[in-house]
Amino acid sequence: MSENVRKVVVIGLDSAPPNLLFDRFLDFLPNIRKLLSRSIYGPMKSCIPAITIPAWMCMATGKTPGELGLYGFRHRKGSSYNDIWIAHSLMVREKAVWDYIGEKGKKSIIVGVPPSYPPKKINGWLVSCFITPDTNCDYTYPKELKAEVEKIVGDYIFDVVFRKEERDEVKEKIWEMTEKRFELVRHLMETKDWNYVQFVEIGLDRIHHAFWKYFDENHHLHEKNSKYKDVIPDYYKLLDREIGKLLKLVDLDETAIAIVSDHGIKAMKGAFAINQWLIEEGLLKVKGGKVINRECPTRLDKVEVDWDRSVAWAWGGYYSRVFLNVKGREAKGIINPDDYGKVRDEIAEMLKNIRGPNGEKWDTKVFYPERLYPVAKGDKPDMMVYFDNLSWRAAGTVGYDSPYLRENDTGPDDAVHDEYGVFSLYLPGLEKKREITCTIYDFAPTILKLFGVKSALMGECLICARDS
Amino acid sequence: MREGFVTWLTGPSGAGKTVLARALEKKLKEMGYKVEVLDGDEIRKELYPELGFDRKAREMHNRIVIHMAKLLSRNGIIVIVSLISPYRKVREYARKEIGRFVEVYVYAPLEVRIRRDPKGLYAKAVKGEIKGLTGYDGVYEEPESPEVRIESHKMSVEEETELILERMRELGYL
Repeated sequence: MSENVRKVVVIGLDSAPPNLLFDRFLDFLPNIRKLLSRSIYGPMKSCIPAITIPAWMCMATGKTPGELGLYGFRHRKGSSYNDIWIAHSLMVREKAVWDYIGEKGKKSIIVGVPPSYPPKKINGWLVSCFITPDTNCDYTYPKELKAEVEKIVGDYIFDVVFRKEERDEVKEKIWEMTEKRFELVRHLMETKDWNYVQFVEIGLDRIHHAFWKYFDENHHLHEKNSKYKDVIPDYYKLLDREIGKLLKLVDLDETAIAIVSDHGIKAMKGAFAINQWLIEEGLLKVKGGKVINRECPTRLDKVEVDWDRSVAWAWGGYYSRVFLNVKGREAKGIINPDDYGKVRDEIAEMLKNIRGPNGEKWDTKVFYPERLYPVAKGDKPDMMVYFDNLSWRAAGTVGYDSPYLRENDTGPDDAVHDEYGVFSLYLPGLEKKREITCTIYDFAPTILKLFGVKSALMGECLICARDS
Repeated sequence: MREGFVTWLTGPSGAGKTVLARALEKKLKEMGYKVEVLDGDEIRKELYPELGFDRKAREMHNRIVIHMAKLLSRNGIIVIVSLISPYRKVREYARKEIGRFVEVYVYAPLEVRIRRDPKGLYAKAVKGEIKGLTGYDGVYEEPESPEVRIESHKMSVEEETELILERMRELGYL
C-alpha cells in the first residue's frame, strides 16, 4: 500500500458535474468541501460514449468501451434489425480494480457499480446495480448477503422510474433509495474487514434528469418558481450529509477517499428524431413513404420498414447509434461492402451538417468505433453520433411533423450528458488541494498504485505524477 | 555524397509523431547519417505564428515544408518531417516532388490520443473551445498505402524506429 494509505473508499456519484460539485454548490456541502481542501481534484473526461454503461466499467478496468465490447445499456444482437441484448456483468471480462487487489488478498465491498448484475464472485462482498430486475433475484455475492441487506434496509431499491409526470413520487423514492444505499454501505463498512469500498449512487443521475428544468433558469422548458426548483441543491445536501456520516466510520489518517462520476450533465436543448430525418433524406424507407402519428410516437420496430431499399437506421438515446444496411452482413443489406467506407463518410458528413431548428450551426460529432478504440469488440454500431455535442439527445421514434422535438420521446427528461465528470482523491498526508484535469482511464492505475499494484493500462497514475 | 531522402510522419495530434521523429533522428545520427527534423509546429511557430488552420493555410504550410525537405534531401540529408498533413492530395504532391520518400502513417485510436493530449488540444475540442481539430471533428484523410503504418498504442518507440529503419533498408535508402 502506498505511503500512509491502508484503505480506500470510492464514492461514485452518477453524473456529478464539476461545475456544481466543485464550485456552485460547494459552499453548502461542508463534508465534501473539507475533503477537497486536501485532495487532488478536477474535471474527469469520460469515455466515448459518455454514458453510465460503459463508463463505470471503463473507470474500474481502465479499458475503453471497445475493449469491453460495451457501447451502452442495450446492444444490437449480431446483424439483426430488431433483436437486442441488455448489458450485464458477465460481458465484462477485463479485470476491475477489485479483481487486481483481490489477487493480493485485499477484500472489497462493491455496491451498485454498473453493470454488476448478475453478481460475480469477488474477494469480498458485492451488491448489484440499477440493472438488477428486482429484489426477488439473487443480487449479492455471497448469496447469503442478501438476507443481511434486507435485515438492514428492508426492501432494497436499485433504481427508480424517473421519466414520469408524478414528480413528488419520483423525488420521494429517490430520497428513500439514497438513504437506504448509504445505510447499507455504512453497515457493510462497520461489519466487514475490508480494504476497498466502491459504491455508486444512481440517484443523483435520476434527480438531474427529472428535475433539471426547474433548477436551470436557462432551460427552454424552465418553470419559474416551481416547488421543485430546489430539489437538485437539496439532494446534493442530502448526499453531503450521508457522506459526512460515512466519513465518521473511517480513519482519515490512513484512508484515501475518492469521489468520482462517470460523466457530467447539462441542459437538454431538445431531441432530434434521427430516424425521421433518415426517412426525410431518403436513407430509410418505410412502407407507404412516411409515418405520421402525432398523438403517439412510434418505435421503429413497430413500423414496416422496406429493408430492401434502406441504407441506414438508428437508435436514440443520449447519443445516437447509426447502423448501415450492408450486403452480406444484414439479412436484406443493400450497401456493397466495397462502398461501405464511402457511404459511411457521406452519411457522416450529412449528419455533421445538420443544423438546429432555427438554422443555427450545431457542433455535431460523428465517431467510427474502430478508430476510437484500440480494438472495437462485440456488437458495435457503424457510427456514434453526438448531436450538437450531446446538447440534443437522439429520438429513435418516428411519426412527427418535424425531427426537432422539444421534449424527450420516451418520457420527461430535461438533461443530457456532458463529457466531463468529476474526480477527487483525498490522501492522508496531502497538506493542500491540487487541481488537475484527468480522464476516466486514469482512475484504475491511480487506485492500483495506492495498493502497490503495477498495471499496464493506458491511463496515467495521478499519484505518480504528484511524486515526480 | 550519399543521397538523401525524406521520411514523412503523418497523423493527427497525439498519435506519437514527435516522439518518434526524435527517436529516429537519434538512431540515424548514431549510425553516422546527416539528419534534420522538420517539425510542423516548430516551423509554424518560428516562421508564421499567425497562420490559421483552414484548408488553404494548411496546404500552404505543408507546401513550404515540402520545399524545405526537398532542398535538404537533395543535399544528402535524411529529412524527417513530422507534420499532421491531413490531406492525401498534399502528401501525394510531396511524394511526387521529393521522389525518395517514405510515408509513415502514425496511428493511435482517438481515445488514446485524447488521453495523451500533449498540447491540450483535445480537451479544448471536447469543451467546444476549438472547432475542426484534425482527427476529432476535423478532417484527416488516412494514407491509403503508406510505406509504414505505425500503431503507436501497441508498440514501443524502439520497435517503431526499428520497423521504419528496416523499411528504409528494403527501399535501398540506407
